[in-house]
Amino acid sequence: MNENFYNLEYLPKMHRIGKVIGVLAVVASFMPALCLGLVYGLWPDWAALGTAALTAVSSFGVLWFVEPLSYYPVVGPMGTYMAFVSGNISNMRIPCASMAQVAAEVEPGTEKGSIVATIGMGVSIVINTLVLSFGVIAGQAILSALPAAVNTALSNYLLPALFGALIVQFGLKAKGHTLVMLAVGCFMYIAVGKSPLGINLFGWLSGASNYLPTLVCVFVSIGIMMVTSKKKAKA
Amino acid sequence: MDALQIANSLPMWIACGVAVVLVIAQALIFVKKAIDAAPQVGVTKEQVNKAIKSSALTSIGPSIVVLSGMLSLLVTVGGPMGWMRLSFIGSVMFESIAAGIGTGSVGVQLGVDELTPLALTMAVWTMILGSVGWIIFSTFAADKMDKIQAKLAGSNPAGLTIISSGAIIGVFAAMCGQKLVMVDKTALATVLGGVCMFAMMTLTKNEKFAKLREWNLTIAMLVAVVLTAII
Repeated sequence: MNENFYNLEYLPKMHRIGKVIGVLAVVASFMPALCLGLVYGLWPDWAALGTAALTAVSSFGVLWFVEPLSYYPVVGPMGTYMAFVSGNISNMRIPCASMAQVAAEVEPGTEKGSIVATIGMGVSIVINTLVLSFGVIAGQAILSALPAAVNTALSNYLLPALFGALIVQFGLKAKGHTLVMLAVGCFMYIAVGKSPLGINLFGWLSGASNYLPTLVCVFVSIGIMMVTSKKKAKA
Repeated sequence: MDALQIANSLPMWIACGVAVVLVIAQALIFVKKAIDAAPQVGVTKEQVNKAIKSSALTSIGPSIVVLSGMLSLLVTVGGPMGWMRLSFIGSVMFESIAAGIGTGSVGVQLGVDELTPLALTMAVWTMILGSVGWIIFSTFAADKMDKIQAKLAGSNPAGLTIISSGAIIGVFAAMCGQKLVMVDKTALATVLGGVCMFAMMTLTKNEKFAKLREWNLTIAMLVAVVLTAII
């Protein structure tokens, strides 16, 4: 055990590596576009691209800032570097990092928790990439081999079932708080117009349904936790 | 060459492969460094192994869902782009919308009209420009958010744990809320996932079933999917 190791050696080194890889990732993401241009002479119609990019940015640009801010308290600094290069954050990175912490019996937000979450997230990235690489080679053959009913069941019900199971795993320790947060979650998704009720209180905020509920839930949940723990500490 | 031949050509596989290799390299480097650091902060080898196993088990289900999303992208923008975009930065929802915006800007409806080489180029560029901000912001803000969070937690050493635990419940409550308000079979799957997990956790509290504990999530998820499909 070395008390200062984590803050003085580990973190600064990981921040450096994370930043270098982040810059490389930006460069790597342009490779297919450059390949089309340099190998096949296919360049975009720049004026049309301006419009297309503007449309994409106005639907997703807010997410560039809101998602890292919302997920940071869950995944920490190292998780942030990894999660945003690899994507699939809420459906895979966060569940894997959190379940790794449960299995190793470490608390989130601690040094141990951060190390374990980094391992968990890294393993999930390797597995996800292997599954996709296998899938792209085997291609359509896999899915067409499955009966249609199995296919619908997997692609529609697996993630909801995962989220339901996860909220129980992490919510049982704070039942009252979790029930309140579930109510907040449902309320927010009704308010952004995702329910069959068709109410939309945020129609004026472009793309709000993509980020607003998660943002509100994360910070309301942190806020309530901090206030109640202060009250408990005083009592 | 037609657009899909270009989209599935060897140079495209190589260009897209660079990003996939980078993602794997990053994961391996981070895991290696974290494992090296583990003994220094008091994480035992046994805990490391448990973390690896649990994460591997947890990733399988969601990976299959991403895979089925990728197959729909394969048909529209070709194998290499589908493979790269879902291993790298993206999510299924973002990629198909961005690709659609790109092809739409030159009058080609994705998945309806025949893909032209120009439409393919527009889709590729739009997917890149629409997503590169995620990496740029998160890469350069990661250490700054660290400092803000430390300030928020204050002098209370349990502060960071409280923030993280609160955030985890917040994230999953939002995910569940999104499915629950649909009041359809996905809502049912969410509820059944929770019920099955509760049953598994209660069952494996008993030491006789302790070995099953690491399978709790996988079993709960699969049973919930099967039940939802049958009902």
